[in-house]
Amino acid sequence: MVTTIKNISLCLLLLCCGVACEEEFLPEISTDPTDIVVEGYIEAGDQALPPYVILTRSIPFSTEISLETLNNLFVRDAQVTVSNGSTSVNLVELCLSELDPAQQILVAQAFGVDLEDLALNVCLYLDPSFSLVGEVGKTYTLEIRVEDKLLTARTTIPPLVPLDSIQFVDPPGNPPANLLEMRCFVTDPDSLVSFYRYFTSINGEAFIPGFNSVTDDVFFDGKRFEFPLAKGEPRNEPIEQETFGLLTVGDTLTMKWCTIDQAHYNFWNSLEFNAINQGPFSSYTRVENNINGGLGIWGGLSVSYITKAVQ
Amino acid sequence: MKQIILFLLFCFASFGLNAQQKFTLSGYLKDAASGETLIGANVYNAANPAQGTSSNAYGFYSLTLAKGSYEFVFSYLGYTEKTMRINLTADQRLNLDLVEGITITEVVVTAKEADENVESTEMGTIDLSMENVKRLPALLGEVDILKTLQLLPGVASAGEGNAGFYVRGGGPDQNLVLLDEAVVYNSGHMLGFFSVFNADAIKNTTLIKGGMPANYGGRLSSVVDIQMKEGNNKHFAVEGGIGLIASRLTVEGPLQKDKSSFIVSARRTYAFDLAQPALKGTDFEGTNYYFYDLNTKINYRFSDKDRLYLSGYFGRDVLNYVSNLRGFFFNLPYGNATATLRWNHLFSDKLFMNVSAIYNDYDFSFEGGQDQFKINVVSGVRDYNAKVDFDYFPSNKHNLKFGANYTFHRLTPNIANATSGEVEFETTNLQKKYAHEAALYLLDDYKVTDRLRINYGIRASIFTQVGPFESSISNRTYDRGEPVKTYYGLAPRITGKYSINERVSLKAGVTVTNQFVHLVSNSTSTLPTDVWVPSSERVRPQRGIQYALGYFQNLQDNVYETSVEVYYKDLWDQIDYPDTYVSNPTQEADVGFVFGEGRSYGIELFLRKNKGKFTGWIGYTLSRTERSFPDIEDGRVFAANYDRTHDLSVVGNYRLSDKWEFGGALVFGTGNAFTPIKSLFLIEQNLNVEYGPRNSARLESYHRIDLSATYNPNPKSQKNFRSSWVFSIYNIYNRRNPFFTYTAFETNLQEGSAKATAYKVSLFPIIPSVTWNFKWQQKKKK
Repeated sequence: MVTTIKNISLCLLLLCCGVACEEEFLPEISTDPTDIVVEGYIEAGDQALPPYVILTRSIPFSTEISLETLNNLFVRDAQVTVSNGSTSVNLVELCLSELDPAQQILVAQAFGVDLEDLALNVCLYLDPSFSLVGEVGKTYTLEIRVEDKLLTARTTIPPLVPLDSIQFVDPPGNPPANLLEMRCFVTDPDSLVSFYRYFTSINGEAFIPGFNSVTDDVFFDGKRFEFPLAKGEPRNEPIEQETFGLLTVGDTLTMKWCTIDQAHYNFWNSLEFNAINQGPFSSYTRVENNINGGLGIWGGLSVSYITKAVQ
Repeated sequence: MKQIILFLLFCFASFGLNAQQKFTLSGYLKDAASGETLIGANVYNAANPAQGTSSNAYGFYSLTLAKGSYEFVFSYLGYTEKTMRINLTADQRLNLDLVEGITITEVVVTAKEADENVESTEMGTIDLSMENVKRLPALLGEVDILKTLQLLPGVASAGEGNAGFYVRGGGPDQNLVLLDEAVVYNSGHMLGFFSVFNADAIKNTTLIKGGMPANYGGRLSSVVDIQMKEGNNKHFAVEGGIGLIASRLTVEGPLQKDKSSFIVSARRTYAFDLAQPALKGTDFEGTNYYFYDLNTKINYRFSDKDRLYLSGYFGRDVLNYVSNLRGFFFNLPYGNATATLRWNHLFSDKLFMNVSAIYNDYDFSFEGGQDQFKINVVSGVRDYNAKVDFDYFPSNKHNLKFGANYTFHRLTPNIANATSGEVEFETTNLQKKYAHEAALYLLDDYKVTDRLRINYGIRASIFTQVGPFESSISNRTYDRGEPVKTYYGLAPRITGKYSINERVSLKAGVTVTNQFVHLVSNSTSTLPTDVWVPSSERVRPQRGIQYALGYFQNLQDNVYETSVEVYYKDLWDQIDYPDTYVSNPTQEADVGFVFGEGRSYGIELFLRKNKGKFTGWIGYTLSRTERSFPDIEDGRVFAANYDRTHDLSVVGNYRLSDKWEFGGALVFGTGNAFTPIKSLFLIEQNLNVEYGPRNSARLESYHRIDLSATYNPNPKSQKNFRSSWVFSIYNIYNRRNPFFTYTAFETNLQEGSAKATAYKVSLFPIIPSVTWNFKWQQKKKK
C-alpha cells in the first residue's frame, strides 16, 4: 500500500515536473562467484504431483543474454534427493528434448511456455515413477549435491483451502466493453494463518502467476471474503492499464489456487516486492530464499482448480 | 560522574568570588525599521571586547560590569553599529534600535569589533539571516532555508532537489527542526522537494551541528532553530511574490504601536490548478496536487518586563489522484500544524524567563479504492509540550541557562481499515503509542579568563512509554497512563574556547546526546509515509557522543571568517530495516527493525566573506560515515546512506549596483552509496536480481551550478510600493545528476532470449525561473 502511494506519487511528481530524464548505463559487473539457483515444487490437492526441481546458475549482469547462455544456465549431473521422512526418491535429470509428451506438458506448465517452437532446451530433475506424490501436512526435505556443494531445503504442504467460487462482473471505470473482472470468494479457516498463491490459465494455455501472486490472510482471517483478482500477466512485459488483469468474454479461465507455507510465501512476497520497488524512495530488498547454500525456492503447494467460462 | 559534579561545583563556586561593586546594563535590541527583535546581536566594551555579551532568542541582553564609564558597542551583522558612552553607576535599562545597512566608514570604525565566530564557545554553529538566503539561486524560484543549509560544510543534501538533510553522518530523523520552539516532524512538501518554511515568514535560522548546548535535546545530530518574524510594530506592510509554481503574500503591522504587532504569511502552489482545464475530459479529470502554508504570529508587550507571543503554523499537501479508466482513486492529504504560546518575563536585569506552551501535530492520511473496495490509512505524531527556560546573567563572567521541558507524545502508526461494500475489515491491531518525555538542563557560559571560555552543562532526561498498550512481548495489557518502559538519559556537554589572540581561537567540545523518538525509513530520504516510533520494549533510545576540535581565525578586520573543524562521532542503538524488508502494513514497524552501531568522522573547512560588495562562502567537508548491524550481513561495516566522502559548496553574492545583484552556487558531492547487483537468476522464466554487499557501490558524483540575478527597477524610490525581479537558473550546464537507477528485464524463453537494461534517471535539467516580488509599506508619519 505504502509502496503504491510512493510509486504513484513519484509518477505524479515526475509528470508535474515533466523534466525527468533517463538513460541506459552499464553497471559495474560483479566478479563474485555465481550461485546455484533452485526452483522446485511438490504439489498436493486436486492433481497431486511428484516433486520436480530445476537447477540453474546465476549469471553476472549482462545486457543481452543469448540462447546459448540460457541453455548453459542449467546445472547438469546433480544428485537430487527428496524425502518425506520415511520415503526418499532420487530425482532423474531429464532435458526437454528427452521427455515424452506427457512430461513435456508438465514442464511447459511449470515454465508457463508454449511447447511449440520452444527454442530453449529446459532441463529438470523429476520423479518419473510418481513414487513420492505430495500429501497435505507432510514436510519434504530436498538435498542437492553438485560440484562439491551441498544444498538443502525443507517445505511443508499446508491444508487445502479452496476458493468457494468465482464470478465475473463488469469492472469499475470505463475499460473496453468485452472485458470482465474476476471476483473470488474464499472461506478462510479461523484457526491458522494461511498463505495463498494463485495462477491463471486462459483457454488451456500455460498457467501464469498473478502480478502480485501471494497474500496472507491477515485482512480476512477466519472470514468469508470476496475480493477482485487480476488474471496472471507476464511479468516482464509492459502493463496495459486499460486491460490489465481483466478477462475477455468467451474465454475459459482455469484458476490454480494454492495454499503454501510461510517460507514459500516469504520467497514470493520478497521477490515480487523487490521487482516493483526500485527507485529513489525504496531501498533494495534481498529475496528471502529458503535454500541453504544457494538461491531459489523449494516449495510445497496444496492446489485446487476451478475452470469457468468468462461471461 | 563524580568528576563532572566536582567540576560543576568548582565552576559555580566562582560566582561568589567577585566582591567589587557591579552594575548591569540590559535591554532589548531591535530593528529600527520594523521593530523586530535582533537575535544574537553583540554588546561589548569597545576597550575590551571580551567584556561583552549577545542578545538571546528574544533580543534581550544583559551585561554586568564593575562601576565605571564605558564606551559600549552594539553591533549586528548587516546593520550599522552604534557606539555609546555610558556611565555605569547604577543598573540601567537600554532598549536600542539598530539600522539595517552599512556605510563604508563602518569598516574603519570597527577595527576592534567583537567577532562572534572567534570569540564565542559555539562550535559547528551557523546563523543564517533570511536576507542572505533570499539572494541565492533557488529551484523553480522557491527560496528554501533548508536547501541553503545544505550548502554549509557538514550538511549534506538527502538527494537531488530535496530539502531533507544529513548532518555529520546523522540520519534525517536525528535533526531537531524547531519552528518557534515547536518540533516540526515533517519538514518537507511534495515528497521533500520543498521545505515547509516560507522564507517571507522567517526571521532567523540557526544550525547547530557540533556542540549542541544543553538547552537542546531529543535528537542526536543537529538543531535547526527557526524563528518566525514577529511582525512590523511600526508600520503596516504587505509583501509578496508571484513565482512559477507558487505565490506568497505576507501582511504585517502594529496592532498597538510599539506594543503589539502581527504577521500573517501564506503560500500556495498552483501549477496543477492551472492544468485543470487540460485534464478535463481525460481519464485523469479530478487529479490535482497542491500544498500551502500559513504562518501567523502576534505579540503583545504588557510592560518592559512582560511580553506575550502567540504563533502558529499550518501547512498541508493535498494529492488527489483519479483514474476514470479503471475507476481508481486516492486522496492523500498530510501536513503539520503547530501552535506556540510564549511568555517572556524579566524578573530582574539579570534574570530572563520564557515559558512556552506548544502544541504540534503531524498527520498523514490516505484514502483510496476502486469500486466497492476502499482502504483508509492514518498515521502521525501529536505533542503537547510545556517548557520553561531561564537566562541568568549573574556577572560578566557567567551566563547561565537552565530550565525544564515536558512533552506528552501520541504516536500513531499506519492504522489501516478497509471496506468491501458493506463489510468492514479490521485490518490491523496496530496501536497508538503514548509517552512522557521530560528533561532538566543547566548550562553556564563561563569566561574563565580573557582568553579561556567554557560552555559546560548537563541535560537529564526521562522517557516513559505509557498505556493504554498491549505488549506483544509479555502479552501484558497496560492501562491508560501505566508505565510500559522507562529510559533515562544523562547528557553532559562541554565546549571550550581558548583565544590565541584577538583574531584566532582554538575550540574543543564533547557532546553527549540521546534520542527517544525515531523515524526509520526504507528509502534514502524521509517520506510522509514514514512513521515515527517511540523508544519501547523493543526499541532502545539512540545514543551518541561527538568529539570536535576547531581552529577559528578571522582576517582583515573580520571581513573574512575561517574555520577548520574536525569531528568524531560514535552512535549506538541505531535503527534500520533488514535487507529482506518488505513493507507490511499489518505489522508494528518496530517488529521489523534491526539495531546496530554507527560512527562518523570528518574535517570541515569554511571560509566566509561577510562584508563588502562580494559576499559568500566556500565550504568543504571530507568525511566518512559507517554503520554496522549484527543482522545485516553479519555485522559487516558498510558506508551509511548518509556517507558523502567529498562535499564542496561555493556560494557567492555580488552587488553590482543598487539595481543589480547576482548570486551563484556551485555544489559538488561524492555520489550516493547504493547496493549493486551481484547477479541475475532465473525463476519462473523471469530474470531476478541478487544483490551484492549493502552500499558497496557509488552513483556518479553530483555537481551543478546555479545562478541568480535580482533586479530592483527603482532602488531609490521613496514610494510606498516597490518591486523586484529574481531570475534564477538551476543547473546551468544541464548536468544530468543521477537521481536513482533501476533495471528492467525482458525474457522470452520461447525464443531463448533475455535482456537486462539498467537505467539511470536524473531529475532536474537546466531550469530557468522568474519570480516577481513586491513590498508595500505604509508611509512613515512625520
